[in-house]
Amino acid sequence: MSKHAVINRFGRSANPAFTKNFTNYSRDIPSSELMTLDGAVNKTGILLSLCFGGAFIGWNIPQLMLPAMLIGFVLAMITIFRSPAKAGSTAPLYALTQGIFLGGITLFSEVQFPGIAVQALALTFGILATLLVCYKSGLILPTQNFRLMLVSAIGGIFLLYFVNFIMSFFGSTLSFLTSNSPMSIGISIVIVAIASFSLVLDFDFIEEGAEKGMPKYMEWYGAFSLMVTLIWLYLEILRLLAKLRSR
Amino acid sequence: MQNSEVGNILNSVFLIFIAILSLFAFFKLAKVKASGKQLNRKNRINRFGDNKRGNIIEGESTEVDDEKRNSE
Repeated sequence: MSKHAVINRFGRSANPAFTKNFTNYSRDIPSSELMTLDGAVNKTGILLSLCFGGAFIGWNIPQLMLPAMLIGFVLAMITIFRSPAKAGSTAPLYALTQGIFLGGITLFSEVQFPGIAVQALALTFGILATLLVCYKSGLILPTQNFRLMLVSAIGGIFLLYFVNFIMSFFGSTLSFLTSNSPMSIGISIVIVAIASFSLVLDFDFIEEGAEKGMPKYMEWYGAFSLMVTLIWLYLEILRLLAKLRSR
Repeated sequence: MQNSEVGNILNSVFLIFIAILSLFAFFKLAKVKASGKQLNRKNRINRFGDNKRGNIIEGESTEVDDEKRNSE
């Protein structure tokens, strides 16, 4: 007899809503349908290729930059808040549209400061590889507190960007975000550092998902979250380099 | 071609090399499982719940083995 009076009286429920453990996917799904590290990395490769393809289009047709940015933003919101399970169809479109946006913005930066695009690209991928080594070797150990601090910092940054965006409608901006003063450069460096550490959370998400046997679509979702961070990091590095070069 | 132009081209070639090398390292290393120091620690972020834990309360109940029960 069980020690639980309710189980003794009514027996174990056969209702799947009560018996199914929603966090325990691997028991219900065949192993070929489970998330793997290889799968997530391959899908990141596909998204990166699509992003480069989009950047080629954006570089040649910069007029597409703004519509692509808006479509990419909507796709990101849909993937994050509406249907992570459909990341397999929304993430490639997101990578392509954001690639077009990045191609356009890179063209304008390159015209103003020749050579800046290659510098930003090398820095972005350099940070990506370095932090991956730090994560895999256990040099950086992401904890719940680490995640809380990063999420709070990212929230603060986006609040600042939102205020700056609203202020721009009235012909004003937050000078410490947009100018090339030492303080503005310092803030940009902090933002680049926060974006870089967000990569560690993405690596940990993929590693944990593969370890705990999440469903296959989480490979696309993991690759998508890595792409979002990489695109943000590239834009922040581009902004920082532009501030440094304009001094 | 002036020296500064040659320098700029060499800089770009070097940076492209760094970018490609970093991407290559990423795709090679990302497929390798993280070290034990990273995975076997108690303060890891637990996003998906504890997969190793079943939904049977340990010590309070036992799994029913149909084959064993039928043979009895």
